[in-house]
Amino acid sequence: MGTPVVQPGPLGSYAVEPGTVGPCHVAPDALQGIKRQQTNPARWNGPNWDEFSTAVRAHGIDLRETIAARAAFATDAGGTAHGLAHGVVIARSTEQVALLLRAAQEYRVPVTVCGGGLTTEGETVAFGGVLLDMTGMSRVLAIDANALTVRTEAGIFWHSLAEELRRQDLDYLSAPLNLTSSVGGTLGVGGIDVNSARLGCSADQALALQVVTPTGDIVECSDTHNAELFQRVILGYGQFGVITEATLRVRRYTPLRMHYFYYASLATAIEDLQLLDRNDASDYSGILTIMDCAVNVLVAFDSTEREAAFMANWRGRLRGYGELGFGLRMLAHYALRPWKLGEAWYLLQRKRELFPELRRPEYMRDGTMFDRSVVFSRAVWKFWGSRQMVIPDLATSAAKFVEAVERGNAVCRKYFPRYTLYLVGIKLRPEHLAHYEMSCIPPDAEGWAYGCEFEPMLDGRAYSRDYLQSFKNEIYDIGVDMGASYYRFGGMMKGYIRRVFGDAVVDRHLALKRAADPAMILNRHVIF
Amino acid sequence: MSVRTVDVIIVGASLSAAAAAKRLVDAGLETIVLERKELPRHKICSGILSPRGHRFLLENFGPLPRETLHEPTSCRGVTFHFPSMVSMPMDFFGGSTPHLHRKYSDYWAIKSSGAEVHDRTSFAGLEDNGDHVLVHARRQGEPVEYRARQVIGADGPSSLVIRSIYPDYPQTIPWFFVGQKFHDIIDCPLDPDYFHFWFHPGLGHYTWSHARDGRQIVGVGFKRGDNFAKKHENVVNYLADKHGVRLQPHTEDEGCGENFGPSLINRYVFGKGNVLITGQAAGFLNMIGEGMSCALHSGAICGEAVVEARARNRPMQEMYRSMIASEVRRTTDQWNPLKIAFERPHEADFPAALMALGWRDRAKVLRDMWRFIVLYKEFKWGRQMFRAAMQRPLIGGYSMQRWL
Repeated sequence: MGTPVVQPGPLGSYAVEPGTVGPCHVAPDALQGIKRQQTNPARWNGPNWDEFSTAVRAHGIDLRETIAARAAFATDAGGTAHGLAHGVVIARSTEQVALLLRAAQEYRVPVTVCGGGLTTEGETVAFGGVLLDMTGMSRVLAIDANALTVRTEAGIFWHSLAEELRRQDLDYLSAPLNLTSSVGGTLGVGGIDVNSARLGCSADQALALQVVTPTGDIVECSDTHNAELFQRVILGYGQFGVITEATLRVRRYTPLRMHYFYYASLATAIEDLQLLDRNDASDYSGILTIMDCAVNVLVAFDSTEREAAFMANWRGRLRGYGELGFGLRMLAHYALRPWKLGEAWYLLQRKRELFPELRRPEYMRDGTMFDRSVVFSRAVWKFWGSRQMVIPDLATSAAKFVEAVERGNAVCRKYFPRYTLYLVGIKLRPEHLAHYEMSCIPPDAEGWAYGCEFEPMLDGRAYSRDYLQSFKNEIYDIGVDMGASYYRFGGMMKGYIRRVFGDAVVDRHLALKRAADPAMILNRHVIF
Repeated sequence: MSVRTVDVIIVGASLSAAAAAKRLVDAGLETIVLERKELPRHKICSGILSPRGHRFLLENFGPLPRETLHEPTSCRGVTFHFPSMVSMPMDFFGGSTPHLHRKYSDYWAIKSSGAEVHDRTSFAGLEDNGDHVLVHARRQGEPVEYRARQVIGADGPSSLVIRSIYPDYPQTIPWFFVGQKFHDIIDCPLDPDYFHFWFHPGLGHYTWSHARDGRQIVGVGFKRGDNFAKKHENVVNYLADKHGVRLQPHTEDEGCGENFGPSLINRYVFGKGNVLITGQAAGFLNMIGEGMSCALHSGAICGEAVVEARARNRPMQEMYRSMIASEVRRTTDQWNPLKIAFERPHEADFPAALMALGWRDRAKVLRDMWRFIVLYKEFKWGRQMFRAAMQRPLIGGYSMQRWL
């Protein structure tokens, strides 16, 4: 007796092409504002996989199909999307990546590219097809200390790049707080640092790229050479090519002089941060909070001259407290609110754990930070991140930022007992406007955009994806309501792309994508 | 007899099964769905899905094909009717919501999940052996066996999977019968864009009517053992007398047993060992009896829990119970009198609709609601609901100790 397996029946096939926004048969007013788009993609069911795997192996590509190899990439840092590739390829060379993409295009096999895997919405999770692990291409190729540039393979992590640069007394310009991001992945989405208010997003430091297009061509591009491809690949969410090498602008290494100012009000801290940014008063600036109770504005300087100028001209205008003053204020605050003693205890514990970590003598002496990469990637991330990164964000113009943060903060309070915020400015580079068209830079931002990440402290607790997604959606809905944008823009939140940018812009990019990637194989479900 | 070995077996092919299957298949787990009927199969249901459920379907399976919807394709909201003849129409938040044709919507969802579906295959029992579960089934009368790491019971209120692990459970809860009859319409003043519900203790525990495919459905729910024909006739006469609804004699009728109650008093059933229960089988039911949206979400959470527990090497039940707590909060909040009074736990704004009435009508509505609630007195749920309502602000949720 045969097994009565249900086959595609009288209703036909329900496979949905990437980028499809369906008709709505329910009602014109159903789910108001929400696009009729599947955001959690169906698993690719593997037609042509055998022919494809035979073809790539014939080219000498090591295609790993063991469950152990594939399961290592089952989820990303967000931990809410789980998928399994049919096979994994570790990138070894640009030519190998080109061969892989050519075969994938021919056999219509999806390719999902993963660097550090620090996406939060499943963008680097493969729902079938090939997972291309770029961390196999992680060598620094050339450092030009005179021209202040570095040529590196794109799978390198920022902390490894920093280590190589340090040997020649150099440093990167700007990298994400979590330095286990890969260079290629960062350039594809933006990246922000506490010096972004002066230098722009991390992707702005890219001078030139080597890209493998979705059809397997190897192309060098920059602002002056194949500029259109360069514009699409930078902040392009991996849609228009795999970045295999990058030339980045670097700088001379300098230790940093750090200062912290403490606030009890988000709005006041943001106003002061924007004051500093507008007046170029510091080399580094940002806000890290413990909920909305302890708001820390950090400023830092590359030189004693800049620090002295800040102290002379701007220190007195900041409304933040020093450590002692803030401690006394908190004491008075909680003495009058004994029902909030749990919160006070939590703040105290955090202070006890965090402060020694930020001031360890290995890299912090006499108020000077000798290794920002360690502080930011280790200390900060250790205390502001967790194994599962749930970090919805909002990016707005300077004028809308206070309202956006306060509304997002209220959502955090509703969903989680403990959370933290990370706020930073992003200097806009007029010559890079073409890069920003469909990115975290909101269209109404002038001079600076401002971003805030809202991160619950999950403390190892298991939450359902639905709960976390509901939290994120409420944050993202604020963005739609206020005409803002987001740092993270793909995966399960791709439904917001059309809501934020409008159909005309997205359809234009989709047409470009379809022209560049006829089989829609490369990171096919990330944004379209 | 050969034994098919897979990662997960799901019993039932409804929306909760499709949601669980979607998560499992996406994560690369080999999943088989067992369905006793031949698909696509008929399903008794109002089909009025909440907006939250609609969004879940859209995000996970894509836009709904036309054949998954009845006519009218959507429902704008709910109208509450009271014996004092006050009516309160309430629109859903976020707009109209789908009127699902369960025969095809369930089929579409389960196919879209990517799971392998074995229909005409009845679950007959299981043995949880610690590292695997042996599932016994019958396919067109012949015995078949499956070996899986986990089994998910998504087989509705009269769950055979629950009976296989808790044989006495069905005797411990009150059972209801809900039945609906389909009438050709002579004249029906009830707005076809709304789902109509009567808070009338003289009609039944759950009385409703709505339009479908050119006919009018008249439905009634009551404690099992009562007479469906009499109850239904009573409702039809009431609608004629009080609302001027004139209908032809019914042409079709259907009914099924319901486990109405676990959501009210936080007595969910989530299984044990490697056997997980989800959807309405677990007891999820929103207010006004809409169970599809919480079936979808609880099913998805069940699938996620299996994936997470495997990934983190944590006990299956611990993971599931910790993750399902959010859905329990959302569902039981809908029955929590404090939440209803001071927040908006539903997908339509009852407090606003109430406040839109004059104070006399408001008083009538509250009086009628109280008389209706008294109908449920015999089940002794009041104190349990009160305890749950008190717990909610104190522990931030509902006690897991009460879950089976």
